[in-house]
Amino acid sequence: MRLLMLGFNHRTAPLELREALAFDNDKAAQALHELRQAHPASECALLSTCNRTEFYIARPIHDPPTVEQLRTFLSERTGVAPDVVRGASIHREQQDAASHLFRVATGLDSMVIGEPQILGQVKRAYELADQQAAVGPVLHRLFQGAITASKNIRNQTGIDQGRTSVSSVAVSFARNIFDHFNDKTVLAIGAGEMIKAALSSLGRENPKRLLLVNRTYERAVQLADELGLTGPDHGARTWDDMDQLLVESDIVVSCTASNEPVVSEARFKPLLKKRRGRPLFILDLAVPRDIDPRIGSLRNVYLYNLDDLQEAVNATESDRRGLAEQCEELLQTHVNRCMGEIQHRDVGRLVKQLRERLHDIAKEEQGRTAKKLAALNGQTTDEALDDLLQQHNHRLVNKILHLPLSQLDRSDPDAPLGFYAAALRRLFDLQDQPDMPSDDEKP
Amino acid sequence: MPESPATSILLILSTLATALAFAMAVRRVRVQGDDQPNAWPLHLLIGAVTLLCAGLFIYRVLVIHKAWQPLQAHVDGLLLIGALLAPAILYIQTRPRLFGLSLFALPLLGLILLWAVCASLWTYRPFKHDTFEPAWVVFHTTATYLGLLGCGLGAAGGAMYLFVQRRIKSKAGLGQVNPMASLETLETLIIRAATLGFVLLTLSLVSGLIIVTQADRTTSLGEAWWGSPKVWLAAAAWVVYALLINIRSFSAFRGRRAAWLAIAGLVLVLATYGMVEAMSKSQATTQTNNTVEHEEAD
Repeated sequence: MRLLMLGFNHRTAPLELREALAFDNDKAAQALHELRQAHPASECALLSTCNRTEFYIARPIHDPPTVEQLRTFLSERTGVAPDVVRGASIHREQQDAASHLFRVATGLDSMVIGEPQILGQVKRAYELADQQAAVGPVLHRLFQGAITASKNIRNQTGIDQGRTSVSSVAVSFARNIFDHFNDKTVLAIGAGEMIKAALSSLGRENPKRLLLVNRTYERAVQLADELGLTGPDHGARTWDDMDQLLVESDIVVSCTASNEPVVSEARFKPLLKKRRGRPLFILDLAVPRDIDPRIGSLRNVYLYNLDDLQEAVNATESDRRGLAEQCEELLQTHVNRCMGEIQHRDVGRLVKQLRERLHDIAKEEQGRTAKKLAALNGQTTDEALDDLLQQHNHRLVNKILHLPLSQLDRSDPDAPLGFYAAALRRLFDLQDQPDMPSDDEKP
Repeated sequence: MPESPATSILLILSTLATALAFAMAVRRVRVQGDDQPNAWPLHLLIGAVTLLCAGLFIYRVLVIHKAWQPLQAHVDGLLLIGALLAPAILYIQTRPRLFGLSLFALPLLGLILLWAVCASLWTYRPFKHDTFEPAWVVFHTTATYLGLLGCGLGAAGGAMYLFVQRRIKSKAGLGQVNPMASLETLETLIIRAATLGFVLLTLSLVSGLIIVTQADRTTSLGEAWWGSPKVWLAAAAWVVYALLINIRSFSAFRGRRAAWLAIAGLVLVLATYGMVEAMSKSQATTQTNNTVEHEEAD
């Protein structure tokens, strides 16, 4: 099986493009379903977050989908021009693809190095692909390996401790506008992980009011309870209260899964007058964006989005590079182990395939020989002779295979298994087949 | 001819020290992190400017003027502002919340000191305390000069507000280790400085009115004075500061507009000073001509 990754992230694509290429849960499920239908021999998973959209594919070596086919698929599904998709996409294969997923899960490829939210997002992408029956043994092994490695590396190095979090950057941005927070009203739109992190961080600044709204009121209440936001000045409000809250707020943090802006310019402009010129700091953490970007140009409104955060984080993350390098070293060991396991499994299937192939040939020849013997004797061959021939062929095939297969010593980490496997496939014309999980391998 | 060479020399030294302090302050804002220069040399330099200005002011009062009125000429008023503005900048430098404000206040101090150099070297002319009621003149000039200090600080805050707001809107310098003073802090500073300026400007206007009303009985100054541009400019500056101190109640003037108003207020006050200078020059010329005509007639 060949491992392939095609995707976009905050380094290769600007926010506008990432918005266009983003897949929400339903769209991602649909995309996985379509890919699986079109390429039943392949395994696929789709990771779509604020900062990245990435396909992970495991396919038989000479089977589709190719990178180009994936680009076309993406272009058709999102409506983004093929040239744009080609220009902004990155693709990795085999070991590099695995390394990429491990780096992503560990937060080494994140805007804020070591940020923990990405691990949950990788888990959810894996679960979604599993629900769609789009993952097989290769991607199961790969994703499980990445999740385990991420946890181990985070524990070993503490990369997720003392980081410049998105929420801490948000607070420092707000400090450019406000001197203190104890007379300010903070409004959070959404009830996801990002909002939770942002509210925790902003809550430490002791704002006068800390409020949150969400389309599903119950989720807002649940998050407010989790964060201990109780009392008349704190807690969840209904979605219908949002306009009034936008008038009263000084700081707004938004991160919903909405495909359309939650706060459009037409909705916000009439509220501006009621705000009586008070400055408003808005942090839009959503992709696609929740706040119409034109709102940022209005008087006394200061709007920041994820790309702005990236710039700020880049400026302050240089001192964590050493820690990241340490993580990379550990990560490589995990990747090698995982890819080794995938490759061994691949070679195991190949060896089985080769044996079956040779035994089939031997069986054919045995049948032919039996017919010739029967013609010589003028009677049918008896069962004892058949058994004898079969044993002879079996031993012969095994002895012929013994030497080459002993070269495929799978316990040797330096053995060029990929090269041997490719050579065997070519020499014996063996087709790469979809990897079917055994019952005990299913998660 | 300069009135006192020592005054001019010390003022030039103070101006140069202020320019050097400005260069050091720029470097401190530009260089971030571990390489940032120590703040102590800058503090010492501004401390030295404070001592120079204050020492020179006291020296002039005690040694040169030897009179109970401290402000005998324009240069004394400017020295008084310098002696108060320099420690104010020293205070600003030590407040992390006002980081960067000294970049805008130091040029103002430099300009005031440069102005004082000109006033001592080339345009020196003592106030005519004997023409009007001396006590009211001292009150009027002191309130005017101290009011200028408030207006200057407000304008420095306004200029910085515009600078910081532009940086925030253009999203420049994101993630900078030492962010500059927040917009809220600057707005508060503008309001407080404007309040100081407004109160002193009001006192100055009231005392000016009293002086002119008294002068009307003895001279013909009042008639020309009431309709003069100086009065109109002073009244306009007063209205601007009255608006500024209530800026949080007027939503239409908040933000950038308040910053521009603070700058406009200082410009109006300076224009009023210019008018005072121009009017006193023309009055002096008129008086001289009148004296010559009288002498010729005699």
